[in-house]
Amino acid sequence: MVLAWAARLAAPARRQRRVVLLARLDARATPLLFVAPFFVLFAVFGVFPLAYTAWISLHDWQLVNGDQGFVGLANYAALFTDPHFYNALGNTVSMLVLATVPQLFAGLGIAALLNRPLRTAVFWRAGVLLPNAVSVVAVTLVFAQLFGRDFGVANWVLDQLGVPPVDWQANRLAAHLAVAATVTWRWTGYNALLYLAAMQSVDQELYEAAELDGASRWRAFWAVTVPAIRPTIGFTAFSATVGGLQLFVEPQLFDVSGLGGIGGTDRQFQTITMYLYEKGFGVFDAGYAAAIAWVLALLCGGCVLVGLGLVRRLARRGRL
Amino acid sequence: MTRGLLHRAATALAVVLPLALLTGCAGGDNAKTTLTVATYGEFGYEPLFAEYEATHPGIEVKSRVTDFDSHHRGLATQLAAGHGAADVVAVEEQYLPLFRQSADKFVNLAEFGALDLRGQWVPWKWEQGVTDGGRVVLGLGTDMGGLAMCYRRDLFARANLPTDRAEVAALWPTWEDFARVADRFSAAVTDAKFADSAGTIYAAILNQAEENYFAKSDDSFSADRNPNVRRAFDIAGGIGAKGQTARVTTYTQPWTVAIKQGAFATIACPAWLLKQIEDAGGAENAGKWDVTTVPGNAGNQGGSFLTLPRQGAHHREAYDLAAWLTAPAQQKRLFLRDGILPSQPAVYQDPDVVGSTNAYFSNAPVGQIFARSADTLRPNYRGLRDAEVRPKFGQALGRVEEGKQTLEQAWAQALQQASDAVR
Repeated sequence: MVLAWAARLAAPARRQRRVVLLARLDARATPLLFVAPFFVLFAVFGVFPLAYTAWISLHDWQLVNGDQGFVGLANYAALFTDPHFYNALGNTVSMLVLATVPQLFAGLGIAALLNRPLRTAVFWRAGVLLPNAVSVVAVTLVFAQLFGRDFGVANWVLDQLGVPPVDWQANRLAAHLAVAATVTWRWTGYNALLYLAAMQSVDQELYEAAELDGASRWRAFWAVTVPAIRPTIGFTAFSATVGGLQLFVEPQLFDVSGLGGIGGTDRQFQTITMYLYEKGFGVFDAGYAAAIAWVLALLCGGCVLVGLGLVRRLARRGRL
Repeated sequence: MTRGLLHRAATALAVVLPLALLTGCAGGDNAKTTLTVATYGEFGYEPLFAEYEATHPGIEVKSRVTDFDSHHRGLATQLAAGHGAADVVAVEEQYLPLFRQSADKFVNLAEFGALDLRGQWVPWKWEQGVTDGGRVVLGLGTDMGGLAMCYRRDLFARANLPTDRAEVAALWPTWEDFARVADRFSAAVTDAKFADSAGTIYAAILNQAEENYFAKSDDSFSADRNPNVRRAFDIAGGIGAKGQTARVTTYTQPWTVAIKQGAFATIACPAWLLKQIEDAGGAENAGKWDVTTVPGNAGNQGGSFLTLPRQGAHHREAYDLAAWLTAPAQQKRLFLRDGILPSQPAVYQDPDVVGSTNAYFSNAPVGQIFARSADTLRPNYRGLRDAEVRPKFGQALGRVEEGKQTLEQAWAQALQQASDAVR
């Protein structure tokens, strides 16, 4: 458009050819100009940090003092023989599974309930999103108290049931469960809303047909609803996995030592991102932390590729 | 009619708007220099800032308070980024060695005459804040953490132990005696623990030793050959292994609850902890606590320095403010009002300070107790990489308290991790 206006000012003699040229340029360049802001922002806030982190990871880099010399892949070599890294990786995957599976199933169940005729439906639908709107720090601090060793509600309930109290922070599995509970509480409603949106676009005739065939509500849910919303389920599983790999605030604040904590006395619930934080901001080893960041990014990328592959395969088989 | 009204409104606006803008400008006096002071926890500085602004018309002081870890990690990133740091930043002694490695990122306070102030502080406090053989002054000392022992009179009475300060102190001349009192207490009282955590006891014992994890002579890692580390670990871990600790970490929510409920009977308390105990315990626990001498007589735990990041724009003004805040007169007032222990002999030997008592702690003569602790103090040497090593031993004691490891296993693992960290 700008160029078209400029063209009008051109000398009348060569006007015809110029106009054609400029109009073509206009058609080509203007759309690019319109999308440019995204790419500029992506380059500044996406590509540059990634590249700079990669650069740092190849150096002995101290957080405050900066570059102490090029070391090649030494940080990565150290990382791949670091037992703390594998410990963190195992913890991350464990909490990821413990949090994602119930999150998705509970989300499905809640969405199915909300999909039925309800009084004050808007209230309930907005309500399930509430946990997601609350600050993650606040949620975590409350859950850390619920799972307190001495005065926690969880142990009180266990006590009423005659079960001996659990030291939630000290025990590896108990800690993973407690952190997973926090994550699940926060994200179940969000997933439920996504499922609900998908469920509402399912063809009603399918349900009628199922009913005619004598299918129970339960059967119709698994045979009609779930297959119909499979793309949404795929998407939520996907985003929960990538989010779970980067799990940080919930386990970090579950440690009573707060930001100085390493996920319990024996790193029993330290995730990869927590280990990154310990290295980068606890002992100021930015080079090593950058290497962890890149390995984590590659892990996420790998998950995305595997996920995409699965989705494509399903699509090819006409399931999606 | 309507038009007339509009016209008049427009005229009124035309008159009022510039006026408002003018007064707005007058309010934001450009001649004022704004200094930001970043601290964490309780420094008690707020009233002092107001006073400083009143006596220094050109200066405006802004306060930035965050929690301990965020404060120091934030400073690290601000130093790395080259901007964002406050003009005056407090640094705690535990983090000081880390920042000392980046002394060039801080203003050398000697340039502004800090060396002349040297005599104000106890020598060890001054030494902690300087580097490069004393030529570079990194920070001016604020408080120190002279160590005493806080105990619950009511719980001691239930255990048939003496409750009088002097008699209690006589129970534990050494930490070995302290462990024996823990046994006596635990045999008599089952619904409360003897101490808060093994980590606190460990830190108190270790800080009485002149060297900790690194040798003073060459800064080499010496935890494996320094008997003081092992002794502190064994005594504290022994008490923890017997289940005589409440297993709560200072400052955490469970710690606060434990204080409120009287879940433990003793805690090694640096001067600055008294206020925290009072806040946590609340009015219903007033008079139940008391303060006496710590086993081994003295000790220091914590204490801060005011530093000036080089990136600040007003070094001279910031230095004047830091020097004023750490001057004897201000240190004395901070102690009398908030119990923040001065690091300057002239102040902690001041009759007002020595004579002060703490009503919440059964009128214990805290001035006298902490001054004596400060006078008999043997400062300890902390290596440059102390902060990387120190947490490993605290975590090891946590594993002992949790019953996950024996004392021997925990020690071996901590030593291994520590030597890996400094390799």
